[in-house]
Amino acid sequence: MARVEHYAAPRGLKEAARRAAERPATVLAGGTDLMPQIRSGKRALAPSLVNLRRIAVLRGIRRDGDGVRLGALTTVTEILGHPLLRQRAAVLVEAADHFASVQLRNMATVGGNLCNASPAGDLIIPLLVLGARLELVSWTGTELATRELPLEDFFVGPGTTRLGPGEILAAIRFPLPPPDFVARFRKFGTRPALDISVVSVGIGGRRRNGTLEQVRVAFGAVAPVPLCGRRTAAAIDGHPLGPDTTAAAVSAAAAEIRPISDVRASAWYRTELIQILTARLLRDVHHEGH
Amino acid sequence: MTVIPKETLIGRRIPKLDAPAKTTGETRYINDLALPGMLHGKILRTDRVHARIVRIDTSAARALPGVHAVITAADTPGVPLGHGRDNPPLKGDRVRTIRDEIAAVAADTEAIAAEALRLIRVEYEDLPAVFSVHEALRPGAPVLHDRHPDNIPFTFDYSHGDLAAGEQASDVVIEDTFKLHYVTHCCMGVSGVIATFDTTGQLTIYSQTQIPFLYKRDIAPVIGVPPDRIRVIQPPLGGGFGSKLDIYPFEPICVFLARVTQRPVRILFTREEEFIASPTRQPVEFTLRSGVKKDGTLMFRDARTLHDNGGYTSWGATTPFVMMQTISSLYRVPHCRYHTTVVYTNNPYAGSFRGYGNLQATFAVESHMDRLAEAVGMDPLALRLKNAQAPGETTPQGMHFITCGLRDCLQTAAERSDFVKKHATNRAGQTGPIRRGIGIASLVHVGGGANIYRTDGCGTILKLDDFAQATVLTGASEIGQGSETVIAQFVAEELGLPLTSIQVVNNDTEITPWDVGVHASRTTFIAGNSALRAARKARTKLLAAAGQQLGADPATLDLRGGHVVDATSGEARLEIGKLIRSLHFAGKHEVVMTTEYYEPPSVMQDREFKGNVSATYAFGTQAIELEVDTETGVVRIQKVTAAHDVGRVINRLGIEGQIEGGVVMGIGYATTEDLMVSEGRVLNPCFRDYKLVTAPEVPEIDTTFLETLDPHGPAGAKGVGEAPAIPTAVAIANALYNATGVRFRELPFTPEKVLRRLREAAEGKP
Ligand SMILES: Cc1cc2nc3c(=O)[nH]c(=O)nc-3n(C[C@H](O)[C@H](O)[C@H](O)COP(=O)(O)OP(=O)(O)OC[C@H]3O[C@@H](n4cnc5c(N)ncnc54)[C@H](O)[C@@H]3O)c2cc1C
Repeated sequence: MARVEHYAAPRGLKEAARRAAERPATVLAGGTDLMPQIRSGKRALAPSLVNLRRIAVLRGIRRDGDGVRLGALTTVTEILGHPLLRQRAAVLVEAADHFASVQLRNMATVGGNLCNASPAGDLIIPLLVLGARLELVSWTGTELATRELPLEDFFVGPGTTRLGPGEILAAIRFPLPPPDFVARFRKFGTRPALDISVVSVGIGGRRRNGTLEQVRVAFGAVAPVPLCGRRTAAAIDGHPLGPDTTAAAVSAAAAEIRPISDVRASAWYRTELIQILTARLLRDVHHEGH
Repeated sequence: MTVIPKETLIGRRIPKLDAPAKTTGETRYINDLALPGMLHGKILRTDRVHARIVRIDTSAARALPGVHAVITAADTPGVPLGHGRDNPPLKGDRVRTIRDEIAAVAADTEAIAAEALRLIRVEYEDLPAVFSVHEALRPGAPVLHDRHPDNIPFTFDYSHGDLAAGEQASDVVIEDTFKLHYVTHCCMGVSGVIATFDTTGQLTIYSQTQIPFLYKRDIAPVIGVPPDRIRVIQPPLGGGFGSKLDIYPFEPICVFLARVTQRPVRILFTREEEFIASPTRQPVEFTLRSGVKKDGTLMFRDARTLHDNGGYTSWGATTPFVMMQTISSLYRVPHCRYHTTVVYTNNPYAGSFRGYGNLQATFAVESHMDRLAEAVGMDPLALRLKNAQAPGETTPQGMHFITCGLRDCLQTAAERSDFVKKHATNRAGQTGPIRRGIGIASLVHVGGGANIYRTDGCGTILKLDDFAQATVLTGASEIGQGSETVIAQFVAEELGLPLTSIQVVNNDTEITPWDVGVHASRTTFIAGNSALRAARKARTKLLAAAGQQLGADPATLDLRGGHVVDATSGEARLEIGKLIRSLHFAGKHEVVMTTEYYEPPSVMQDREFKGNVSATYAFGTQAIELEVDTETGVVRIQKVTAAHDVGRVINRLGIEGQIEGGVVMGIGYATTEDLMVSEGRVLNPCFRDYKLVTAPEVPEIDTTFLETLDPHGPAGAKGVGEAPAIPTAVAIANALYNATGVRFRELPFTPEKVLRRLREAAEGKP
């Protein structure tokens, strides 16, 4: 294990960004991905460790104009208990409800889940369905610079993102879904608790006369990055919900995923699961309308 | 006048005596022990599956500050260990499995030891490898051990009756091949050992062993220390389940490190190491052929099994001893043959694991009972009842069932689960993706020890101090099974003392008398009988002394609540403590101390594996209800109805835990646990990917105890440590058939494998 030469746990975002820019740095949030990766030797710590956990502006869930802003340090437990999210973005709460165990939920942050960039990251899927955008900050040498990026453009490959060196994810924003918006998340693990997703699916859209419109679909653990299911979404968008649309969506899904075989599942099984979960989600959405 | 009523501790719900310390974190496991000056040992394992070692360069590791010793095979006597004496603790010329030990380091800290391992350079010349028994049996296959050019270290044969006649007389004959996979014990406490020599050369080993006395005998030649110079101390175990029945290379390696450094050395596994380098359950390919008459009478059974022995031999190779008992004797079968070929491969090797081959054998036999029932148009329960053993029978293998609750177990489990009706309704046809099923399976297992050494005995020394505190020194180890509590109960019961007055000492070979070890579900039965008899001797002595003092006939007296009482009225006459003190003084100069060596009425089997190997046998039946999602392959176990012939309940809380734990272990074996081995390598050495059953998956478990009151059992009890894990997996397989009409012949029933099998069956593969 490489030795950490510099450690900082600043209270200000500016200070953290400066520290992260000064020299090669590792950023720490809840540590639930980082620490196991370090201990197993899968990843080495940079000489400088910047702990974000004392930065108050990175915390909190709040209304932000016609949208919602989640501070990067928002924990899974906070998502679970939040009234606004429960009411208007239940799909995110649903994912939080299938996340690890209570102990993990108290530590794990939404920022960490996104920046870890696992194709199986459970909060990513509903946030893709909600059309989330990221607020990224970095130190230019003299000041704090901020840029925005749609979540779907954030991921490059397993464990890699478009975060620049020393860049910090400050917040996640998404527009507050309109009242006719429905969305569902389904995670398949081989047991009911404490499991990494074998695959996951999120589907959301606005319900209009027996159809879904402005549909977004996202798939987890079936490609090197969390995948936006554009073709699947197109197969659903504006078509009457029912067996034909489901069949079209299912075959679009099977065609656009790129699963691999690993110890958790074979590519064959992942393809089977995506199809069955997609069909079941659509059926749920459909039946809810009646 | 104080009257003390007669009360019994037998059958009560007694929290395990070690529970408070374990739940509050007070228990000191081997991980918590640190001797002054102790060094930390670590083992370098190979990354090859089969290779010749050309050179090992340890110079850089030796030069690392904080390193006290680096050893290789060249520094050791090279005496192999294990049942086949084929496993040198450190491998000098050749590695045969991915876990092979090639060097070891002792250093000031674990981190330094780990760093030193990284500095050791090993040069190999790879050899061709074999990863399946079929490959290993092919002519010209790579040979693992020169002593066995055919790769077959052992075969086992058993038979009774006339197979051809049995087959001739059968109306229906079926044959199947079952494949039983690798799982491992997953003890919460990882493997560990501390070794330390004193200045006279006396060796103390802090060991997790389940067999402290045989351990001394078996490790002595490997480390070159005479057994009388070895003391074994057993700190509390973080789980055993059979995994600590053999000696594994890390233990002698720790002794070697302690010897060269002249310091205490501790080796503790990492979790990953535990998955890779501790034993597994024996994987088996099991071909079974069975025949019945139209009326359901079982005629013959012919079993041929192939055991993947891995690269070395531990107890897994000997599981046929147990397998053949189920083949020959769970149900009455007039003609029977059993043959096992044990085959070396470059895979991991199996040890002893709760059930000892019986989960695998029962899987085959009870799958067939269902298939045969269907073939002759009988209900699965009816076919089993027709062929079930009954009390008084001696089976052709020589097993004598003085008591036998099998029929009652079958009937009880069936009634309480409404088996017959549910089974028929489920089969009548279901639609939709979720299908329900119910399955049933039974078991027989030794319940009164297993006479496989020349003795199956256990010693007890019991002493009473001047305040009526009883100390029971027993050879039998506590490995979490609750034997300490049961032994204390027997002694308290005989001596009329509260449980708090009983101390059980069971973890130091210099103090405790001899015992074979914890295996074969024998401790309650054998050590219990031993303690009970020692206590009875003390009781006789106390009553005689009291009779003398009180001028009463000892037969009119009883011991209750710490007092000598009048047996009829319960009137307290004398405090037991006072009685003992009076024996010390009053010119008598006596102590109350008794000994017992209990040897059960069983025999060693003959060369044909025949003979009454256990003093009694445990039986049981489990009916399991489940739901299977035929679109995803997910199996949800909903209810387990268990009925077990336990002889007599001693500690109700303890035995409930034993049954529930066994059932959960069986569910894990069937539905979630899978040690994935590919080309000799373990692919999932972590709890993230090796899935134990978690709390929300545990179904309702309805347990009924059938008390058959075994005449040889302590207070009538039988041993049931292993029994509950045995029939679970096959009851699940039978329930899956009931749900889907598809026969599952390969474990595990993880969702992907279930879905694959369902698809395969839909495409016409039976
Ligand atoms: C037992 C267990 C079970 C788990 N179960 C699940 C599960 O069910 N579903 C699931 O999705 N995940 C699961 N995980 C993974 C993990 O808990 C989540 O991914 C979690 O959200 C990570 O958040 P964290 O705050 O702990 O991140 P950390 O470990 O602190 O960080 C993760 C990565 O992101 C970087 N990072 C963190 N925050 C920022 C930031 N604001 N800006 C820039 N970079 C940042 C870190 O440098 C690191 O590379 C599990 C992990 C464990 C150990």
